[in-house]
Amino acid sequence: MAKKIEFLYPEYTNIYGESYNLEYLKRCNKEINVIETHVGDTPRFITGGADMVYIGCMTEDKQEKTIELLMPYRNFIIHAIQCGMIFLVTGNALEIFGTRIIGDDVMSDENVDIRGLSIFDYKSVRHMREMRHNSQYIGNFDGMIMLGHRSQYSFTYGEFENSFIKIYKGIGMNPDTDKEGVHVKNFFGTYSLGPYLILNPPFTKYLLRLLGLKDNLAFENEIMEAYQYRLEELRRTI
Amino acid sequence: MFRFYIALWASKLMMGFYYLIKKPKTDMPGLLACKMCPDFLEKISKPKLTITVTGTNGKTTTSTLLNDFLKSNGMTTSFNDWGANMMAGYAVNLIRGVSLFNKPKVDCSILEADELTLDTWMAKIKPDYLLVTNICKDSLRRNGHPENIFNHIEHTLRILGDKTTAVLNADDPISSELGKDSRRVYFGMSDTMSNPFVNISKDIAICPRCGGQIKYDYRHYRHIGKFKCASCDFKTPQADYMAEFVDLRNRTMMVNGHEYPLISDTIFNAFNVLSCIAMLKELGYRDGEISGFLSTQKVTDIRETCVEYNGIEYYTFAAKSQNVSAASTVFEYMAKEPSIKDVVLLMDEVQDKNHPTETLTWLYETDYEFLKDPKIRRIIVGGHMYLNHRLRLLLAGVPEEKIFAVEDEADIPQCVEQEGIDKVYVLYETDCVSKAKNMRDSIVNYVKEGK
Repeated sequence: MAKKIEFLYPEYTNIYGESYNLEYLKRCNKEINVIETHVGDTPRFITGGADMVYIGCMTEDKQEKTIELLMPYRNFIIHAIQCGMIFLVTGNALEIFGTRIIGDDVMSDENVDIRGLSIFDYKSVRHMREMRHNSQYIGNFDGMIMLGHRSQYSFTYGEFENSFIKIYKGIGMNPDTDKEGVHVKNFFGTYSLGPYLILNPPFTKYLLRLLGLKDNLAFENEIMEAYQYRLEELRRTI
Repeated sequence: MFRFYIALWASKLMMGFYYLIKKPKTDMPGLLACKMCPDFLEKISKPKLTITVTGTNGKTTTSTLLNDFLKSNGMTTSFNDWGANMMAGYAVNLIRGVSLFNKPKVDCSILEADELTLDTWMAKIKPDYLLVTNICKDSLRRNGHPENIFNHIEHTLRILGDKTTAVLNADDPISSELGKDSRRVYFGMSDTMSNPFVNISKDIAICPRCGGQIKYDYRHYRHIGKFKCASCDFKTPQADYMAEFVDLRNRTMMVNGHEYPLISDTIFNAFNVLSCIAMLKELGYRDGEISGFLSTQKVTDIRETCVEYNGIEYYTFAAKSQNVSAASTVFEYMAKEPSIKDVVLLMDEVQDKNHPTETLTWLYETDYEFLKDPKIRRIIVGGHMYLNHRLRLLLAGVPEEKIFAVEDEADIPQCVEQEGIDKVYVLYETDCVSKAKNMRDSIVNYVKEGK
């Protein structure tokens, strides 16, 4: 049976080619159908028209706009998460689900203070005038070794009771925690870019199974070989 | 000023030392000066003309052309032409331009400038002109996204105010919006019928004013072209310097009715030449002077070199890994350039092997799909990212038999064909000029030795 994946606001949330996560899923299974919901459209998942929701990294300006767009659907999002809807959220899209985004701004001496969707209890702090933070991580989720790459101007702070990945090399949501991302029911959020599903083929298999599909991967031998090579390299170098 | 003079003299002494040991292209004296005197860049005297060149792509080519033209016209210049395009590089540039007593001794400084730190340093230097070649997708890990770069350049122009004239690309929907409060001069290009490919990842997705859809009458490459918003009055501004009848094959174009030679057959270099012409015309130079100079120019050796052996041309060709727009534009050129060729990808950044923050991300924003072109017979990749390149090429639809992926770059020469092709291109990250030339020479030597 065909599975619909909703790509929320691709004109905002595809700044680092994250749409390749979905392109790769389509290559893995022909039953996957990606639906793009554009700014101004009503999200499909509200009416049960999607099996999974994807939202990727965006510019700082578009974070604020995306929060405005999703705020009317906040309760629907909470309900959907509780009902087990699959969400995959990557990069700084994770920040919009927290309580606040604060920090500095390149164009102004005044700090920003943006109210988030407040679905999860954490806040993010931007450092736009500092060097961009880049690092990689190795972590664990449900017995799978997860690899991540973060490239960001901000960090997130909170208790992270529902973290996605336990980091054992690298950092988590901020330099002082080994907790990375959010995992509640089938909501998976990570700061990591990637494309995340290319970087983590075991998790891609997990996601395909969660969607009720066979877990064969496109170019499975090649992607697994690249994953193993990268894992060994990161074990040596992080 | 005491502190400043100590810093100036110490840095000049250090500069003299580096000249003696024949390493003049270093920014160490500039670093020393700025450490000793934090407001050194403000206090050092500037020549009567200061031109800053910034933008994602084309800075080096454009600033080199400007510098060489001004020198050939009898001006004395200082120029940070060794890639040091931040604080210390600016300091060395300006130190070269003053006497021991801080009196200007050159007519002009050409400052090639990094975009990300522009607002910090240009506010101190206060250039007369700020030429912005374009704003495109660049290294994710350093620059983030184009909107971030726009903000830094716009912030710079707001600080500089009417002191500085912005020379802008009218055909770039991102950078053409810069400098609303500045004096602006635009260069643009009429339709070149270049039929650009569609990129998988966009430099600008929506109208920066209203969020509407951006439409094009024509594009030159990527997001550069004649644009307009479907929902508001955002559109390509009127160009002060308009290139028409751009003939890449014969390397000529007309600008405001006068014919100029081009330095290569690429559209992006045509824009670099155009921006240089716009700048020089603003300075009052005549068409004949500029075109005469351009007829003697070619692309700088750090961007492209060629040797021929046994009927095959072996090129090194800069592609800038991690800079998505530059790499994709070069891949497009590879597909359109009419020769039968092998392409070697030598695009891993040198520092990444020891500090592996290198990501897969740029591979999936870059248009590897363009390399499917049948004129490209083999794609050979080496280095520690070889498996990631192979996977990306496969996902792009490149047939497996065309892909040669080896971990050890030393194995690359044996993968290159020795007959049935016209050219071999070694595409390289710009930090790796010597490495690329060594690889190209290894390929040629491998053929010469008849292996």
